[in-house]
Amino acid sequence: MRVSEIELVSPKSVIECLSYMAESDRTVRLIAGGTDAVVQMKEGKGRPEVWINIKGLKELRYIREEADGIHLGPLTTHTDIARSNLLKSRAEALAEASWQVGAEQIRNMGTIGGNIVTASPAGDTIPALYVLDAELELQSLTGKRRIKIEDFFLGPRRTVLQKDEMITDIIIQPQKPNEISIFQKLGPRRAQAISIVNVAVKLAMGTEPRQCLDGKIAFGSVAPTVIRAKKCEAMLKLGTLTDEMIRQIGKTAWKEVSPISDIRASAEYRRDMAGALLERGLYRLMKRWESR
Amino acid sequence: MSVQVEPKKLKWVGQRVRRKDGPEKVTGSLKYMTDYQFENMVWGRVLRSRYPYARIKRIDTSKAKAYPGVICVLTHEDVPGFNGFGIVIPDQPVLCHDYVRCMGDAVALVAAETEEIAEEALQLIEVDYEVLEPVTDPEEAIKDSAPKLHPSGNIHSRVHVKNGDVKKAFAEADVIVENTYYSPRQMHAFIETEGGWGILEEDGSLTIRCPGQYAFRDRLQIARVLAWNPERIRVISNPIGGGFGGKDEITVQIYLALLALHTGGRPVKIHYKREESVIAGIKRHPFKVTMKTAAKKDGTLVANKVVAFGDTGAYASLGGAVISLAIEHSCGPYYIPNVDLEGYCVYTNNGIAGAFRGFGVNQVCLAIEQNIDMIAEKLGMDPIEIRKKNVYHQGGLSSMGHRVTTSVGTWKTLDAAENCELWKNREKYKANPSEPWKKRGIGVATSFHGIGMGFGLPDYGAATIELLPGGRFLVGVCSEDIGQGNGTVFAIVAAEALQCHIDDIDVIQGDTRRTIDSGTVSASRSTYVGGNSVLAAAPFMIKLLKSTAAEIFKIDVDLVELRDGKLWAKVPVEGKNVLTYADIYQYLYEHRRETKVEGHFMVPKAEKQIGNNVGMPHHVYGYQTHVVLVEVDTLTGETEVLRVVSIPDCGKVINLQGLEGQAEGGAVMGMGYTLYEDTIIERGIFKTTNFTNYILPTFKETPIIETIPIEEAEKTGPFGAKGIGEVVMIPIIAAIVQAIYDATGVRINHLPATPERVYKAMKEQGVIYRG
Repeated sequence: MRVSEIELVSPKSVIECLSYMAESDRTVRLIAGGTDAVVQMKEGKGRPEVWINIKGLKELRYIREEADGIHLGPLTTHTDIARSNLLKSRAEALAEASWQVGAEQIRNMGTIGGNIVTASPAGDTIPALYVLDAELELQSLTGKRRIKIEDFFLGPRRTVLQKDEMITDIIIQPQKPNEISIFQKLGPRRAQAISIVNVAVKLAMGTEPRQCLDGKIAFGSVAPTVIRAKKCEAMLKLGTLTDEMIRQIGKTAWKEVSPISDIRASAEYRRDMAGALLERGLYRLMKRWESR
Repeated sequence: MSVQVEPKKLKWVGQRVRRKDGPEKVTGSLKYMTDYQFENMVWGRVLRSRYPYARIKRIDTSKAKAYPGVICVLTHEDVPGFNGFGIVIPDQPVLCHDYVRCMGDAVALVAAETEEIAEEALQLIEVDYEVLEPVTDPEEAIKDSAPKLHPSGNIHSRVHVKNGDVKKAFAEADVIVENTYYSPRQMHAFIETEGGWGILEEDGSLTIRCPGQYAFRDRLQIARVLAWNPERIRVISNPIGGGFGGKDEITVQIYLALLALHTGGRPVKIHYKREESVIAGIKRHPFKVTMKTAAKKDGTLVANKVVAFGDTGAYASLGGAVISLAIEHSCGPYYIPNVDLEGYCVYTNNGIAGAFRGFGVNQVCLAIEQNIDMIAEKLGMDPIEIRKKNVYHQGGLSSMGHRVTTSVGTWKTLDAAENCELWKNREKYKANPSEPWKKRGIGVATSFHGIGMGFGLPDYGAATIELLPGGRFLVGVCSEDIGQGNGTVFAIVAAEALQCHIDDIDVIQGDTRRTIDSGTVSASRSTYVGGNSVLAAAPFMIKLLKSTAAEIFKIDVDLVELRDGKLWAKVPVEGKNVLTYADIYQYLYEHRRETKVEGHFMVPKAEKQIGNNVGMPHHVYGYQTHVVLVEVDTLTGETEVLRVVSIPDCGKVINLQGLEGQAEGGAVMGMGYTLYEDTIIERGIFKTTNFTNYILPTFKETPIIETIPIEEAEKTGPFGAKGIGEVVMIPIIAAIVQAIYDATGVRINHLPATPERVYKAMKEQGVIYRG
């Protein structure tokens, strides 16, 4: 398929889009920000016969708080998320993760829905969505289903999304007053780079100093999909989160991860960095908590 | 005949002058050559090798030729003249016929109606290869058992300099350090990838519009391949979206010329995608440098032994010259009496290496500066003190054994480093890292870099000055502006010499029809050579202005005075007693007289050659010291450069803003080399082909950079200027590595010092966080 011969249609509504997806006898792909799709297209990968351009579907771009959580439209851009006061205070890890995606131009174009369906093990928003208990609403012409984000990914670039389905809503649980969260990323430079390792952490704090009641930890880039670190999570509740305890939790992280070596880093370094980033994240969280 | 301006009366030289090409470049309104499209254009594409090393058994282009939309398909059989190019030895085939020696090798060319059709046609060209085992390690390559990539063998060149008695000096020394250093294959990463236009004109001549660093030499290389009279070829090589040495060699000019001969007069365009640019373009030579350095107890350096291997990849390009310059600079700007310095430039199947800002000096600077730091540490000496003690001074001997008669500012740059705020307060800066698990360190290093081509190589410049309507001037110097701002330098020199406003000077560069040959844009030479050429032309213009005024005044020329940019009659004359340049132009125009003059300049050379090494030594050098502050995250190994003090000795500063631009850009490029950048090639195959994995520093990594110029005027330079384009990126490399050591106690001898390398070294040495 020549790039110049790919057609592009721009549906006016979600229903029109879903109809097109269900009824077209040609291969179709959705395109929103295009920050991943266009790169792939240039490389000759994933060229459809028809692009369905959903960039203009304003009904899928929103951030709003409802009774069952904060709802994010899949076309919400990283810039929207990073600048949202609601998310900066009640979903810190997600706002921080979006802030660390790519460069300004990528953040202006790239969407959270795109980051999810691309299903890269290094996707920056995904660990944050894990710790914020995100759920996805998947819709097709025949109906809707709601699944936990942890059940969405099958492997690198593989998800449970059916050919005629699209993500129409993302629901996260906002942090309660005693909860704090953070996103940490290690790339080959400070910004604008694909993560070597990333991690999101959310903690529920008690009334005692550095008392952790519960916590969630999710790592990216250290397994075929983003993963939860459940041994480390259990350790969070064992006692006061002293610097020594944090160090021990960090050291445990290597038991949770199964990274590979690639051009960006060796498996050995990735494994050590999972611990280092968790350790650094917990130090920074404690500092943040204590300065409240 | 020369132009004399008293230093205190300088109006433009040394000021902060806004770049003449600044506004259109920063607003994006300037169209670069690869930005253009034409109605009846065709697209050219290059078929690359499929293997790093293979024998070509058969090439069949019939399917590609028959493909709809294809205009022509060319192979080595379509090369009318000599099938090769290369600045020193033309050993790189234009289109390969027997062997391919790297992934960047070109096998065929296609021109087609669209870029997509051209791309598809490439897939239809059938090439049968006999795949051969690639040669990828320079040290293996020089063994007899290695396959010979070229008839002369795999050692392209060997350089050897020996002075004194190294063996005796090592035996008598008090301290000896020996280390091996590895350096990365940095890419130029210019914003504008290689590209341009080829047009067969109606009169049968050929126009090649292609960014380059020496239009006249590009023209000669094109002519040799076409077997054409070079005069029938016009090369336009300016403006350029970045060069850094990467456009010094031929890029696509010859492909454009060959295709243009087969497109029926339609303009043909080639513009590489980033991936093709990475694979086909030249890179910085990765080096392995083993250096053994000895000193006496008092810190006096007594001996240096160096063995350096440079991987030049499949073809020579400027590899031999790079190794030569590296060896010339391998002892730093110091006097070491006993030296044994050996460099090898070796062919492999790892892409192609060639010219790149610094030209071999970057790689050896790391080695000598690290070795000196280790000696200083062993002797308990301050790093600046040991350097000050060993630098050579003007009139003194260098480690090459030649007397340096030109200006030498090293000691002063070191003194400025010692007295800069960052160095004086270094303990205070180091004491307060931003987080408890981070550690800070400070490093200092110094280096130098030859200006121009060096001994035995012709080095020549020329400029034209044309008087224009309204009394403006057009200054022509072929040497292109590859981003460094030399056009503004030429304008400043001309405005100063001709006593006019800089806005009244236009500059034209990079056009074989409209300018005269002024040599390359390389070797930090264009301020020195181009500036001197403009100064050589200026007296002829002044003479033309004065003699014309005398004619108008009807007085003797000696009675005409040039003052404040006007021509005055010193004696009473009929009519007005003062003439403007506009008046002179009008008179010359009315009398159909020439308004253009030329000036020529030969670059002075050192008195004698070093051994039989061509290009060694240089006559003039620029000097540079850097001080840097870094912070290392001991949890991850990440290094952040927080502050840089850049102290260049470029002789007299011509444009302060331009110098700061060079100093800042150089610092960031040196930082990229030290911390991030490496084009990874495994078994001859490129693993980093775009900016996803080739990591450049961005604005976020850019530290505060302070520039403190040391103006050690050079009497042979224009207004005392030397050159600065390359040395500004060099000592920062060693300074950062030293700062990482100061912070963590680990020495990184294998660049880039990525987070993983720093972390691994800390882990091995047990450097752990103690919050």
